[in-house]
Formats: sequence, C-alpha cells, structure tokens
Amino acid sequence: MIREPPPFFHRGPSPLARLTFFALLAIATMIADHRFGALDAVRLSLSVLVAPLQQLAAAPATAIGRIADYFSSQDRLLRDNEELRAKLLEYAADAQRAKLLQAEQDHFLSMTPARSRFATDGVLAEVLSYGRNPFVRKLVLDKGLTQAIKAGMPVIDGEGVVGQVTAVGTFTSEVTLLTEKDQSVPVMLTRNGLRALAVGSGKDGSIDVPFMPVSADIQNGDLFVTSGIDGTYPAGLIVARVTAVEKNAAYVFAKITARPAAGVDNHRFVRILTAARLAPPPDARADEKRPARERAPAKGRRQP
Amino acid sequence: MKLPAGPGLVFASFIAAYLFNSLPWSGWALLARPDLVLVVLVFWAIHQPGSVGQGLAFALGLAMDVGDSMLLGQHALAYVIVTYGAQVLGVRVLAFPILEQTLHVLGLFIGASIVVVLLNLLLGASLPGLAAMLSPALAALAWGPLTWILYLPGLRRMRRESAA
Repeated sequence: MIREPPPFFHRGPSPLARLTFFALLAIATMIADHRFGALDAVRLSLSVLVAPLQQLAAAPATAIGRIADYFSSQDRLLRDNEELRAKLLEYAADAQRAKLLQAEQDHFLSMTPARSRFATDGVLAEVLSYGRNPFVRKLVLDKGLTQAIKAGMPVIDGEGVVGQVTAVGTFTSEVTLLTEKDQSVPVMLTRNGLRALAVGSGKDGSIDVPFMPVSADIQNGDLFVTSGIDGTYPAGLIVARVTAVEKNAAYVFAKITARPAAGVDNHRFVRILTAARLAPPPDARADEKRPARERAPAKGRRQP
Repeated sequence: MKLPAGPGLVFASFIAAYLFNSLPWSGWALLARPDLVLVVLVFWAIHQPGSVGQGLAFALGLAMDVGDSMLLGQHALAYVIVTYGAQVLGVRVLAFPILEQTLHVLGLFIGASIVVVLLNLLLGASLPGLAAMLSPALAALAWGPLTWILYLPGLRRMRRESAA
C-alpha cells in the first residue's frame, strides 16, 4: 500500500525505525510527566528558553489593551471610581469588625497550640493571559519563583476563590481554575455548617458537589465557603453558590451543581494567598506503597 | 536557479510560526487555531527532508507542550508521527499541484489533531468543542500561501548561471 520511497542516500536509520524510537521516547516522556512528575525541572528550563518568544508574542495584545485603557472615556472612569468608593465604605465596616474578631481569636489561640484557619498574607498579581491549553482552563499571572510563589497556593479575587497555583515559572505562574476537572476544595455551607467537597466538573465552568446523601439539607441558592479543614485553602473564603439540586430516591447521592462566585471569566487582578500551609501535604504515594496491614493501625491513629 | 533554503530561513520560519502559535488565543479561537509550527514542519519535511527530521519534530513538539502548558510529550508524539507521514508521502506529494497537495497535508494535520485529542481523552479531559475541527482545515488552507511565501525569490539565494 504505502511504501517508503527508495532512499537515494542512506543516512542513518530508516524513517520507520526513527518513528518507533521517537514515539516510544514521547510516550516515556508523557508517563514520566503525568505519573511521576519527574520532568518539572525540564519544563522549567524549557519555559525559560521559550519565555522571550512568548512575551514577544503577547506584546501586541498587551499594548493594544493598554492603549484602549488610556483612551477610555472619563465618564466611565468617574463611574468606576464612585462604585469602588461605595464598595470601599461597605467593606470598611466589615474590615473593622474582622480586626476585632482577629484580635479575639489571637487571644484565644495564644492559650492553645493551634493556629488560625484564616488567611492573612497575600500578594497582588495581574492576569497576563489565559493559558493556551484548550482542555484545561488556566490563568497566567505575573508573579513567579522570584516572588516566592509556590505551587499549591490558593488564588482569590474580590468575590471568591479563583483556583490554585499549579505551576510556577521564573517570572510567571499558572493558576488552574477551580471549575476544572480534579480541582477540589473542601467547603462548608454557611447556612447550617454542612461540610462537603466541591469538585470542578471540567465543563461549562460549573462545580459539582458529589457524595452528598439524598437526605442532606441543601437548597438552591445556598452559599459555600471554604472550611479550612485540609490546610491548603484558608477558611471563610466564598467558593460557590448552589444552582441546581437533584434528589432522586433511586440513587444514594444527590446531584448538586454550583456556580463559582468569583468572576472566572473576567479577571484582571487576583490575590495569591501566600501564608504557609496549616497542615503538611498528604504524601499519597507513600501511603500506596505501604502494605495493607500497616495501613490499618495508621488509620486508627489519625482519628481524634 | 534557486538554491535550497539555508538554515537561516528554516530557523526564521520556525520562529515566526511559533510566535503565531504563542499569540494570546483564547476560547473559540484557541480551539480553531491552525498549528503553523506543524505546517512549517511538514513543509520542510517534504521540500527539504535533509534539513528537518524527526529529532527536530520531537524538540518542536516539546517546545509547543511547554508553551501551551500541556503534558510534556503530547505534541511531540503528534509531530513525530506527522513527520514520519511527511517523509513517507513526501516524494509523492511534490508531484501534485498545490490543490492536491493541500488535500494530502490536510490528512496529515487531521492525524495530528486526532492524536492530541485522543491523548487528552485518555487523561480524562472531555472532547473539545466543534471549533477544534476547524484547526486542521485552517492549517491546510495555510499550506498554499506558505508554499508561496517560502519560495519567494527574495528569501532564497539565486545562483547565477555562468556563461557557457
């Protein structure tokens, strides 16, 4: 059917041999990156190499954006200014109350060896662009290793949690939105303190809340905030609002859909929460390697 | 008589294609983005197989994966497979006029898209939207103009025939 053209000059291995070699190499690269995460150093060094080209390619769009901003009408600027002042006044009362509560909490915590679940430190970052992976939606921020950003730090905007930093480069970092597959946030309903896990659905910018029994007390319009249990996300950050609750007695779990509160499609500035983790990251792989009989007593020890 | 393209032109064409791919596409346009790096790669693999080979295709694939922050190796695999296809079909494609050449390379580009989508499906992502089907079509449409551009006399050195 299709035969390779007869080679005019014999220059090394045949095309098929080369294909086999490089295909296997590519598959090995994918496995190493996906399963073992062994190629992060390679990715970092390659990203340093291609960074100048990326910046050059992004320059026209940034320049056009800045010029458009410069020429925006004074009318719109005055209106934005008024809105922001009003919001500032609204938040001023909350901020003063938060300071008082923080002082009380510090007083209580000084009597026990626990640490506060709430976040204090953060860094402002500008969104440079949306990541170019068509399968997973990410943001690219202008803070990186040089500003001590680490993978795993939560990112918020004015309205709620945006996502988590997943990859850090020298001068930029990437944030995976919390609506993407496998992004999960431990949350709590504000109304009744019900604890749950909010998992991104990977499509349409919505969030699923799986594993809620059909009898759970959840209604349309309820608000989820972070519960701070895992130590990654500080407590009290707004996550999502429930948009649909389907309770079918035929299934064990209810099907709950929620919409993130943060403006996941219209960002300009976000805040990276840089406070240290409150709990050491779980070493999932070490857990798998331990034989089954050793795992059972470990589970018993973890229960309070 | 035109000389084959020097390494400068090959390098510059890859840089320009990478810049195009790195423009801040988003949403619908990102799915439909023609992969110019792949088009240029296939062009040189067909017209000058001595200049580019599967090693370069692998390296370019890694560069694209890093640039698009995808799993390392996806585009590398797709580019290597397409370069093999270009090497197998290369001599045959050059015998056809531009329109039929476009159809040949369209098949190669669809193959590359399928490889990337399949790999992502294996990783658990969902099927991309319909706009993703535009990407190989637009890339094939770019084949004709690209052939014309890369053969412009200004970009190629001309060798003067010496007087008999």
